Amino acid sequence: MGEKLEVRQGTLTLMVLKTLDVLGPLHGYGIARRIEETSGNRLALNYGTLYPALVKLEQEGHIKGEWRASENNRRAKYYALTPAGRKELARETAEWRQTAELIATFFALRPEGA
Amino acid sequence: MSARAAVRAAWWRVRATFGAGYDRARADAELREELQTHLAMQVEDGIRRGMAPEAARRRALVAAGSLTAAAEAVRAQRGLPWLEGLGRDVRSALRALAARPSFTVTVLLTLALGLGATTAIFTVVDGALLRPLPYPHPERIVRLFTVTPKGGRINFSDPDYDDVRQQSRSFAALAEVGDYGVETVLGPRAALRAHVALVSRDFFRVMGVAPVAGRAFAPEEQQVGGRPAVVVSHGFWRQALGSAPLRGEATVTLEGRAFNVVGVMPPALDYPRGADLWIPRELEAENPHRTGHNFQVLARLDARIPPAQAQRELRGLGARLSRLYAGDTDMRDIALVPLQEHLVGGLRPALLVLLAAAGFLLLIACANVANLVIARLLTRGGELALRLALGASRARLVQQFLVEAFVLALAGGTLGVLVAAAGVRTLLALAPATLPRLTDIHLRWPVLLFALGLSVATALAIGLLAAWRATRADLRSALAQNQRTQAGSSGASLRRGLVVAQVAATMVLLVGAGLLGRSFLRLMHVNPGFRTHDALVLELDVPGAGDADLPRTVSFYDALLERLHALPGVSAAGLTNALPLADGNRGDGDFIILSRPDEIRTIEDFERVGRDRSRVGHAEFRVASAGYFRAMQIPLMRGRLFDERDGPEAPHVAVISTSLAQKRWPGEDPIGKVIEFGNMDMDPRPLTIVGVVGDVRDGSLADAPYPTFYTSYRQRPRRATTAQIVLAGNVETPAVITAARAAVRELRPDVPPQVHTIESVVAGSVGDRRFTLLLVAVFGFAALVLATVGVYGVISYAVAQRRAELGVRMALGARPADVVRLLLGEGVRLSLAGVLAGVVGALALTRLLAGLLFGVGATDPVSFLGVALGLLGAAVLASVIPAWRATGIGPVEVMRS
Repeated sequence: MGEKLEVRQGTLTLMVLKTLDVLGPLHGYGIARRIEETSGNRLALNYGTLYPALVKLEQEGHIKGEWRASENNRRAKYYALTPAGRKELARETAEWRQTAELIATFFALRPEGA
Repeated sequence: MSARAAVRAAWWRVRATFGAGYDRARADAELREELQTHLAMQVEDGIRRGMAPEAARRRALVAAGSLTAAAEAVRAQRGLPWLEGLGRDVRSALRALAARPSFTVTVLLTLALGLGATTAIFTVVDGALLRPLPYPHPERIVRLFTVTPKGGRINFSDPDYDDVRQQSRSFAALAEVGDYGVETVLGPRAALRAHVALVSRDFFRVMGVAPVAGRAFAPEEQQVGGRPAVVVSHGFWRQALGSAPLRGEATVTLEGRAFNVVGVMPPALDYPRGADLWIPRELEAENPHRTGHNFQVLARLDARIPPAQAQRELRGLGARLSRLYAGDTDMRDIALVPLQEHLVGGLRPALLVLLAAAGFLLLIACANVANLVIARLLTRGGELALRLALGASRARLVQQFLVEAFVLALAGGTLGVLVAAAGVRTLLALAPATLPRLTDIHLRWPVLLFALGLSVATALAIGLLAAWRATRADLRSALAQNQRTQAGSSGASLRRGLVVAQVAATMVLLVGAGLLGRSFLRLMHVNPGFRTHDALVLELDVPGAGDADLPRTVSFYDALLERLHALPGVSAAGLTNALPLADGNRGDGDFIILSRPDEIRTIEDFERVGRDRSRVGHAEFRVASAGYFRAMQIPLMRGRLFDERDGPEAPHVAVISTSLAQKRWPGEDPIGKVIEFGNMDMDPRPLTIVGVVGDVRDGSLADAPYPTFYTSYRQRPRRATTAQIVLAGNVETPAVITAARAAVRELRPDVPPQVHTIESVVAGSVGDRRFTLLLVAVFGFAALVLATVGVYGVISYAVAQRRAELGVRMALGARPADVVRLLLGEGVRLSLAGVLAGVVGALALTRLLAGLLFGVGATDPVSFLGVALGLLGAAVLASVIPAWRATGIGPVEVMRS
């Protein structure tokens, strides 16, 4: 396996939204674990990138945080997707797909006369 | 991200920064808890996977990254970090400024003084001079003049005006304006004095104003014998009519006729200057003679015609009329002057000088501020270098300096605004009454913002420059500089240069003030030819309906003069229709020297004989009483004054001034000559010269005396319906003033007098000069203060820098006096350089003052020398104090440090 990739904040928010969409309300550690697992541990994720992203999503109104008791009866802040967040997820997903298709078209180009 | 989400996020961050409804402490505590939970869960996971608790913990920490960094990052996301940084900078700037009160206060005062003075003077100059007149398209309003063969510009005659009106194609509207000056009118409640003007049909169209109440004149009011109507000014409507709504009944009585008040003009209309009442010119018949120059002509240019083209057309027209009516006309040419130019032109040189002076002051103030800021930076060189070495970013340090400079500038600018407001009020209070649009000048927002912006820009520029240089220093040399000192570094030489420039600019200002001051003194030493102390002047306008009222007016004057003469303290009482040096009722014209008394019977005779220039003279025509000359201490040189023989039925006599006698009858005795001067007051009776009196300065102290022709009010009262009565003696007391007013009231309650002292008349005539002098002197003084502070600052700094060197010198045996001399020498060198530069500058610039000077040249050596010595003296004083304090430096303690 190669070096771990730095995760950019723009893509990180998308991953957080998707994770919450799939798994339902989750606390910050759980989100981080899930993203690392899904990426096959190829992404390096630390507090410094994740928590600001969570705050940002909360400010934008895409997720909402709530203090609850966790599985181990520990107090933790759980984040849930809001309707606006769902819409944003759909929008960003569509955007990514389009971008990916466009890039693929370019990668399919062959040098002329080959 | 949608726009709505972005706005929400931004709103969150603003709320978080400014704290309202956001509990920062609780949010921080929650964040810590959240991060701790994350860490704990990570450790549990590790243990579950089989790691030892310690190892698990270590791995968790490594994997998760630093907690504090995370907390920082979240906080950055939460708030507006650069704003918070700025806030910290502002607070630390305020602390730093408070820690050095002398520096802060000096800079604030300097900025306030420089900005405030400049803004104040600019406001006044702009308001009086530069601002366009408050009429629509004011650049199109022009005044037309008849140009005489000698090149003089005079009023128009009616026939000439009619011709121009018919034949010119350049104007949208033309109007005649007759300025009758202040007269006594009868308002609804009392008799009062009002400024009356006659205006022809299109006057309000020319000015472009419409009444704010009522209407302008109707056609039936604008003809001979028409219903008398008057349009009043806004001020008159408010004060004399109590702002009452016009219902058609209000009347103002003028010259015995009741004029119906039909309209009120807006406050903006101020032509002629100070006019209260406008009545239709058409109520008077036209004067068919082309030599009767009675009316001003104002016009509004057609929008499509540029002034140059109109002037060309008028030139042609003037030439044509001149040829057509040669011999019957005084017109050779027609001149066109934009009204604004005409109204303010005379004051322009003085006001521009003041603007320049203010500009100098601003430069000096900026130089001072720059000096102080740089000095401060230089003393902090070590601290800065240290901080740079410890990892502070240069941009951050520069930002701190900029914030400090900005705070200073804002504070200084705000103080400057206060100074400006007070300054404008003071200037207007001291201004001569002739300053245009005096009542309409006040501080306006654009100028204030400009001043504030200028101060901020200056401070930022200086701050940036200085900060950039200061943060370039490397640690070692900066630390070394703090401990061991040498005189001279590029910062210090910049400061020296600034001080030299300051002294030079101050020199220029003070020389200007000196020249103006000497001019003023010379002017005040001019002998005006009459009494300038211990006299009162009563100004009267006797209303009357025409010739029928004249005998009554004459007996009123007779009785009044008798009563006034009898008052205790009055040594002499006299009357004239136009007091010298006052704004008056002047009139001048050509007279004819008769070969026999009945030579001229008609106007045509007058014009015929007048063509023989050897029989013609020119003089000012005045009406006076016998007592006038005694009251005014105008000496009798030859012959006699008026006396009891010279009654209304006796042959008319006249007294002339010495300059007229010398000019018209050099080497001859003018006594006994018979003169025809009836063109001035329509009285054809010839006058015999019976006496010659001393000259007086009439127009201004600076002008040569006018040749003057005095007639007696008892014989020629027509032009004496306005009179100035002079009471001489111990009269400038409330008792006499009250008694005089009472005397007038008893005889004619419908004639309200205005009382002045003779001193105020003379002072009023030099009001412009005094104003200019006062302002330039104030600027000069302010500049002197600033420059002195500048010199003091540089020498103080030199002392601080050279402490070690001075200590060594004294340890080696130098006496205190030697140290003082050393430092003083530096101060003197700087000031000398500044003074020399200033002399060069002043020689170049004071020629621009030439028009304002009287009796002194623009390069008057006395003024230059005096100012140079004074400035050097001040600089020496400024250097002595820090130099003296330098001798207090104990050599041992310096060596030890």
